[in-house]
Amino acid sequence: MRHFLLVEGTNEKWDGVKLGMRSIPIATACTIYHKFFCETNLDAYDPYLIAMSSIYLAGKVEEQHLRTRDIINVSNRYFNPSGEPLELDSRFWELRDSIVQCELLMLRVLRFQVSFQHPHKYLLHYLVSLKNWLNRHSWQRTPVAVTAWALLRDSYHGGLCLRFQAQHIAVAVLYLALQVYGVEVPAEVEAEKPWWQVFSDDLTKPIIDNIVSDLIQIYTMDTEIP
Amino acid sequence: MDRDLLRQSLNCHGSSLLSLLRSEQQDNPHFRSLLGSAAEPTRGPPPQQPLQGRKEKRVDNIEIQKFISKKADLLFALSWKSDAPATSEINEDSEDHYAVMPPLEQFMEIPSMDRRELFFRDIERGDIVIGRISSIREFGFFMVLICLGSGIMRDIAHLEITALCPLRDVPSHSNHGDPLSYYQTGDIIRAGIKDIDRYHEKLAVSLYSSSLPPHLSGIKLGVISSEELPLYYRRSVELNSNSLESYENIMQSSLGFVNPGVVEFLLEKLGIDESNPPSLMRGLQSKNFSEDDFASALRKKQSASWALKCILISGFHQYLL
Repeated sequence: MRHFLLVEGTNEKWDGVKLGMRSIPIATACTIYHKFFCETNLDAYDPYLIAMSSIYLAGKVEEQHLRTRDIINVSNRYFNPSGEPLELDSRFWELRDSIVQCELLMLRVLRFQVSFQHPHKYLLHYLVSLKNWLNRHSWQRTPVAVTAWALLRDSYHGGLCLRFQAQHIAVAVLYLALQVYGVEVPAEVEAEKPWWQVFSDDLTKPIIDNIVSDLIQIYTMDTEIP
Repeated sequence: MDRDLLRQSLNCHGSSLLSLLRSEQQDNPHFRSLLGSAAEPTRGPPPQQPLQGRKEKRVDNIEIQKFISKKADLLFALSWKSDAPATSEINEDSEDHYAVMPPLEQFMEIPSMDRRELFFRDIERGDIVIGRISSIREFGFFMVLICLGSGIMRDIAHLEITALCPLRDVPSHSNHGDPLSYYQTGDIIRAGIKDIDRYHEKLAVSLYSSSLPPHLSGIKLGVISSEELPLYYRRSVELNSNSLESYENIMQSSLGFVNPGVVEFLLEKLGIDESNPPSLMRGLQSKNFSEDDFASALRKKQSASWALKCILISGFHQYLL
């Protein structure tokens, strides 16, 4: 079941990119999706419909409005890659109606709490602060920012967003990005407070390690597009 | 493959990463030559003799090393490099775009000695500095640096770093008389770094725009008012007087933090491209996406098909033949 959910999460990310969704709306869609299935029985609802509705709802919440038509087309294409786009017939309109009704159902299940504090804003500010402290040539030749952003985006394939605080996730992906490239924050050893503690007062090293571990786990479900 | 980056990572993680890389990336032609040269004992310190600190790190991050080795072809690919050159930015003074923060080293409480050392390591010709005139001589004036006006935003006010502005780098304000007579001790000056002696920690500045790189040449050098001091410096001063304030609080109470466009603004500032969103998932590498799968392409096809159907139903096509 978990595997199924994760694969579905992957589907959603593909859809998000092909719909031209920005990172925050995608994050909102995934959070809505994961949260919905925490509150309900996995078997009771069609995950594909829930995924499409999550995307639709997130688009509204984050002011990047998407047409249901586009959502349906991209999802359908994923499942029938060789087929033609769906005809605009009654089946299509029924599907569209389902999405709209599903949206209301999901809003009720989530008690209309569909706006979230995402790690993205925090991560970007942390990156600016770190950039000023690092040597500019070091920064230029090491893709810390891009990698951290990629890690954060990829984290939505799992339910990290539900288990950890936004600031903590932001620090953890930054920590992993620095580790990956072997970047040392200057004068770390001489500092009174480590950089990651500065960014979040209640963060601890074990929490960072937990998030990093969970994040790395998410990548084990990764496969090529068949 | 980015050799320097790979070497940097190997230096940090040591021989265990090297062996993991060898097994994970054995089929990758780009890595075969790289891994061969990285293991040569003649190049730099051999990975088998790590520093004490590094050794501790290696023991508990084997999970991370496995991750690195599996994703190495993506992580160290040259395409990750940003194409934009490392031009030093103008200090963004508008507090509305994002939360401008005091320097990180101030929160980390890094000793002055280290801040000073790192300042002299990282400062470059063409950087803008701001300081107060401490004395005026016949050959020029000395100023004590308060903060930076471009590039790296550092906390240097208490480091008592002085810079000399030689007479020849002071533009004259009248046709006759001494150019220096225009200035007084205590004046706040914005200047461009012209010369650096890193070993002796000596700086020479200029008030001519020609000392600045082209993209900064519009910035006014010379006397400025205290209102023109950069926002990051003013925030830094506030933090000094209230040293218990946390990074998080300052950030969240800043107007720029709630700017609806803050994410887009900072993405651009950091050079992260959302139109080609980065990912380390193999299935999400954009080269695997066909243009035909995107929403706009599908919609066009669908509309065309529907339009054709409408024509056929109406019988209009008879008139076209």
